[in-house]
Amino acid sequence: MIGSLLRASSAFLALAVLGACSDKGGDPMKQYGPNPYLPEPHQYLLPPMSVPRAVGWKAGEAPTVPAGLRIQTMATGLMHPRIVYPLTNGDILVVESNSPGTKPFRPKDYIQGKVKARAGAGAKGGNRITLLRDSDGDGVPELKTVLVDHLHSPYGVAWVAGTLYVANTDAIMAFPFTPGQTKITAPGVKLADLPAGPINHHWTKSLVASSDGSKLYVGVGSNSNITENGMDVEEGRAAIYEVDRVTGAKRVYATGVRNPTNLAIQPGTGQLFAIANERDEIGPDLVPDYLTSVRDGGFYGWPYSYWGQHIDVRVHPQKSDMVAKAIKPDYGLSSHVAALGLTFSQGETLSPQFANGVFIGEHGSWDRSPLNGYQVIFVPFVNGRPSGMPIPVVTGFLAADHKTVRGRPVGVALDRTGALIVADDVGNTVWRVSHTGAPTSPAITRK
Amino acid sequence: MAKPVVSKRAPRLLHPFFISLGGTLLMAALFTDYMYSCNSLIQWSNFSAWLIAGGLVFALVAVIFLLIDFALGRAGPISWLDFILVGAAAIISLFNVLVHTRDAWTSVMPTGITLSVIVTILLLVAGIRGWAVTMERVVERGESR
Repeated sequence: MIGSLLRASSAFLALAVLGACSDKGGDPMKQYGPNPYLPEPHQYLLPPMSVPRAVGWKAGEAPTVPAGLRIQTMATGLMHPRIVYPLTNGDILVVESNSPGTKPFRPKDYIQGKVKARAGAGAKGGNRITLLRDSDGDGVPELKTVLVDHLHSPYGVAWVAGTLYVANTDAIMAFPFTPGQTKITAPGVKLADLPAGPINHHWTKSLVASSDGSKLYVGVGSNSNITENGMDVEEGRAAIYEVDRVTGAKRVYATGVRNPTNLAIQPGTGQLFAIANERDEIGPDLVPDYLTSVRDGGFYGWPYSYWGQHIDVRVHPQKSDMVAKAIKPDYGLSSHVAALGLTFSQGETLSPQFANGVFIGEHGSWDRSPLNGYQVIFVPFVNGRPSGMPIPVVTGFLAADHKTVRGRPVGVALDRTGALIVADDVGNTVWRVSHTGAPTSPAITRK
Repeated sequence: MAKPVVSKRAPRLLHPFFISLGGTLLMAALFTDYMYSCNSLIQWSNFSAWLIAGGLVFALVAVIFLLIDFALGRAGPISWLDFILVGAAAIISLFNVLVHTRDAWTSVMPTGITLSVIVTILLLVAGIRGWAVTMERVVERGESR
């Protein structure tokens, strides 16, 4: 037994050393679309980590947008803004949040935490929702005020039928709320518990309401990269739940989605779509994050396999019956981009080329060289499915030399005028991208 | 009545104690690796990572005390066999602690546990030989110092 172990491991070690020395990621464009290029997985001696230093925006600096669009600062000085959510009256909610904090298990956890902090991921979140009111629609809010405070690492929000639902990291809270209100004083009522501590590795809970408003869908990320915190703590994780909005009863809607960081309902069809962040540490081009329509009862592979039936040898014991069931996602977004923001476009509000598709906020990689992501892209849809190559929309977050980063995009949304709103949790800014040709948007009438 | 013979000992070496501490932790990691390979319970692999990291910290402490032994004139010439056994165990453990930073099964199987087996064999020999990487300075009986 020892002999075979020795042989296997010496080959393994040689591979690992080679891999650690010469592993640069390839062209990310090969990994967009329905059939991304998937290289062989590698194991490393040194966990690959490559992060730019977070420096923030200087006065007058802003991300870059294509000709025909302009970008404005809507709000600055926020505390780690993650999600932006426009209300029916034109007000915009900004969820300011960060991880509730996780406790280290292994020597590695101390080092990894320090590296991620360098890229601005360690900043304290506001644990609150700020309201921006821009009555005249010129992109400059007249009012910026804290709507609700003392939340518990909130992320997803949805407003349905006089109620604001907030997905805290451990529960969906319901607050009576009418758009126009600038302060929520009523204490929230818990609608449903969500899987949380004590580890809570992927802490964000994404939230979207079904088209008829009867159901809420909640994305719950895995409790580890690839089961290194044990299988028992993965109970109920890496899943998308369907919660009855009235009773709070919840059921598992889809499983095997490693980290469903955002959800969106396709206008017209009511189909649920998700973006998911895939696993790390098996190579700079593995595994691509993805955008997919979500099937009721579907299993998407995590942890046993990725992109269909590609087995992950780090998971033990393996389950071949689960691997066989794993659904291939619809559309690859290339590896380690950390897609966090998702919203459907609403016609030609920005440009004819952005008429039909989704905007995706790519927070940016921390374990890939060269860096990948750090932009907002548009993925076109044809016949209700993602199709064709992505178009960069908001770029310039990363410095040209890739040594420093000024901001990192997170949540994206379209406001009532059709302008694209982008949360930036390193620049602590909310950006607004609008069409230059369009006349100044008409004033929004408040009821 | 004859006076009892007084045997005089040279001052003891300081570094072997710290090598023995670190070596014990490194050898214990073979046991925890083996447990993980049997039951796939992740906590055993966490134990391994901590034991190997701890063993390497003691290796560093042992190097410091080895230098102190030389500085105080307690150490004799280097015993090369012991030095190579212990040194090789430390260097392999440096690789091993990196292998153990991998996630889940491949942090131990197959490379991690193989390295732990090699380290344990090296350290068992070094331990039986007394954990010292230098000779002791011998003080002859009756010799005046």
